[in-house]
Amino acid sequence: MRQSSLGYQVERFGLVLVWLAVIILFGAMRPDTFLSWSNFSSIFGSEAVLVIVTLGLIIPLTAGDFDLSIAQVLTFVSMLTAILSARMGLPLGYIIPIAIAAGALVGIVNGTIVLFFRVHSLIVTLGVGTFLHGITLWISDSQTISGVSRALMQYVIIHRTFGIPISFYYAVLLAAVIWYVLSYTAFGQQLLFTGRGREVGRLTGVAVGRVRMSAFVASGIVGAIAGILYTGTTGSANPNSGTTLLLPAFAAAFLGATCIKPGRFNAWGSVIAVYFLVTGINGLSVLGFRTYVHDLFYGGALVLAVMVSQLVSGRRERTL
Amino acid sequence: MPGEIHGLLGKNGSGKSTLIKILSGFHRPDEGSLEVDGRAVPLPIPLGRSERIGLSFVHQNLALLPEATVLENLIAGDHERVNAWFVNWRAEAARALRLFEEHHLDLDPWARVEDLTPVQRAQLAIIRAADRVGSHNEHASPGLLVLDEPTPFLPIEDVRVLFAMLRRLKAAGVSIVFVSHDIDEVMEITDRATVLRDGHVIGSFTTGSTDRAQIVEAIVGRSLSQTRLVGGDPAGRASGVAVRALRAKVVAGIDLDVAPGEILGLTGLIGSGYDEIPYLLAGARPAEEGTLRLDGRDRSLRHFGPAEAIRSGIVLIPADRQRYGLALDLTLTENAMLPGAAGRGTLMRLDHRSRRSATADLMKRFVVKAQSPDQAGSELSGGNQQKLLLGKWLQLDPRLVLLDEPTQGIDVGARREIYDRLIESCGRGTSIICATSEFDQLEMIAHRVLVFERGRVKAELRGGEVTKSSIEAACYGETRVHAPV
Repeated sequence: MRQSSLGYQVERFGLVLVWLAVIILFGAMRPDTFLSWSNFSSIFGSEAVLVIVTLGLIIPLTAGDFDLSIAQVLTFVSMLTAILSARMGLPLGYIIPIAIAAGALVGIVNGTIVLFFRVHSLIVTLGVGTFLHGITLWISDSQTISGVSRALMQYVIIHRTFGIPISFYYAVLLAAVIWYVLSYTAFGQQLLFTGRGREVGRLTGVAVGRVRMSAFVASGIVGAIAGILYTGTTGSANPNSGTTLLLPAFAAAFLGATCIKPGRFNAWGSVIAVYFLVTGINGLSVLGFRTYVHDLFYGGALVLAVMVSQLVSGRRERTL
Repeated sequence: MPGEIHGLLGKNGSGKSTLIKILSGFHRPDEGSLEVDGRAVPLPIPLGRSERIGLSFVHQNLALLPEATVLENLIAGDHERVNAWFVNWRAEAARALRLFEEHHLDLDPWARVEDLTPVQRAQLAIIRAADRVGSHNEHASPGLLVLDEPTPFLPIEDVRVLFAMLRRLKAAGVSIVFVSHDIDEVMEITDRATVLRDGHVIGSFTTGSTDRAQIVEAIVGRSLSQTRLVGGDPAGRASGVAVRALRAKVVAGIDLDVAPGEILGLTGLIGSGYDEIPYLLAGARPAEEGTLRLDGRDRSLRHFGPAEAIRSGIVLIPADRQRYGLALDLTLTENAMLPGAAGRGTLMRLDHRSRRSATADLMKRFVVKAQSPDQAGSELSGGNQQKLLLGKWLQLDPRLVLLDEPTQGIDVGARREIYDRLIESCGRGTSIICATSEFDQLEMIAHRVLVFERGRVKAELRGGEVTKSSIEAACYGETRVHAPV
């Protein structure tokens, strides 16, 4: 794959370069507001949730499945956490295992329907996600629930290391774990073949069904972690919080697959893609654009990312 | 000739399919002329126009949509008669029933095609073609039907049913070209037959007054002998793999034995079931029944998966490399090292450096020409992909290697390298089963050959009998299973 050639290195770090260019551009236009440390540390901290959702998505995406329910897992778990903490006063030591088990359960439901009934994951997770949103609205009575234990916020957003909220480090840690699993373990190879050559994998002894199930459960758990952090970040749970995160996460996952390890969904690429996207949006809002730029930017980025990756793989095929 | 059934015979690659593709307008002929009903037809025929000039085709796959009803399939694509904006289903159903009755067919217009028996499906496809050509022909003649291998998946009783239908069509004045591999069928149903070999017409025969042997000779021709690369007869020397009572969709109760160090060839005509055996024994497709005995242990082939097969030392090198063999957009290392990463110990750390160097070694041993083990599989030629695939499996030192068309689309040089690796591995005591339609390949590498017909073993050739011409003779030879009426 011409790993040493300059062109390949540019391709790998292209998105990083574009990101730096965007920072320089906005920095030159609004040096005081955009380039301030407080602006950046808040970007890094508050968007950690989006990073985690994206990381959750790339696990089933690598195995060739979509998990559209992940954003609603986030919303549901976030609400569950808020209710358990604010209304029932449970300590964090109980809340976190319950929340993670809830995420895993959704993964099992997704996986079971997809594998047992052989329905396309896109449809199943769309339905399950919407169903979960219904449950969220029901248990919260469509209200934002606040009054969450301060301890949670302490461990998520208030505590800072090098001036950046600790949630950022959670996201980086998770990225490292997923990077390790995807690139350095046999399970990573099994996921890859399940997505890219399912029959080849099956005939070589990969338990394709079990791998896909594990991927759904993993994305459910990661979605739940994102939900806990979301509640910790804002100190409350909003019944519509996750809805706006799904598209950015997909955009970042596909954009991330164009860099670091081009052509594959990868953890560090996803992290870079998320921060590239939120930097762009932050810059545009500093310039005075209003919220509609979110949709323009995320939607545009998703389509662009898919186009670019198609172009890259198309070029590869033509060089045969 | 009007009202005649004319057989078209020939081996794979003799030009039957090309001729049909020219007639249906898929191919542009280099030169030549065509007359239908005494009128010259300009070539090439535009695609989709063939029905107008009185030609209609039924291809082997029948081109039916299984989820749709008989009626929907019958009128599908009949744009000239059926209004594009409104379909009068009641009138269409009545018309279909009249049509079926006319031809003595027991078909329900509202039944779904997937619920039909195989012979009913074939009947539907043929009646659809006959109906089209009859109603669209600009010259109002009953037209010509071309049936391309309509029978190989049908049991013998159903072939009879189909033939009865063809005779009725013939009586109605329809001309039929019947393309087949099966000489007995051609002898039974056709009035005359033409034999093609290497793109030339070898001869036309009036089937009623021609000897079967004459036709076989015309099809096969005289074949040049290949150098045999294997000798001896390892069969029976020691116990290797034994398969008993294997049954599946197109396999009707097969017993097989392969000795260690033996290469067993499987062959037959299209649809005879020989090419299913490797997949059934590798657990790639479930069998209905059957056991496989290896190392004194019986394994049921009904519940046999690829993972268990690999653990028992059984590996499969499939014909469809791109779909089942290698994931072509992943790297050579990833593909070659997958067997080691597919099993348990899933969170164990992979040592990329040793995986890479093991792949490099493998590429050297199996003469895979590539720049680096990090290349994507798609950047390799077909021959090199196949050699890598061979390496992927032979590195495991398997007990039984199952091959399906191991040299499909591969140049001569690479073929020879593949044969050498196989024979080498067989020298170490590996048993090999190779399913192929290439007879000269069998002559070169097989110790023993089983010839299949309709899911059963029809002939066994061993040692010096394994020659291209005797395999051909056995394939096209007469059989008890299929005696003419």
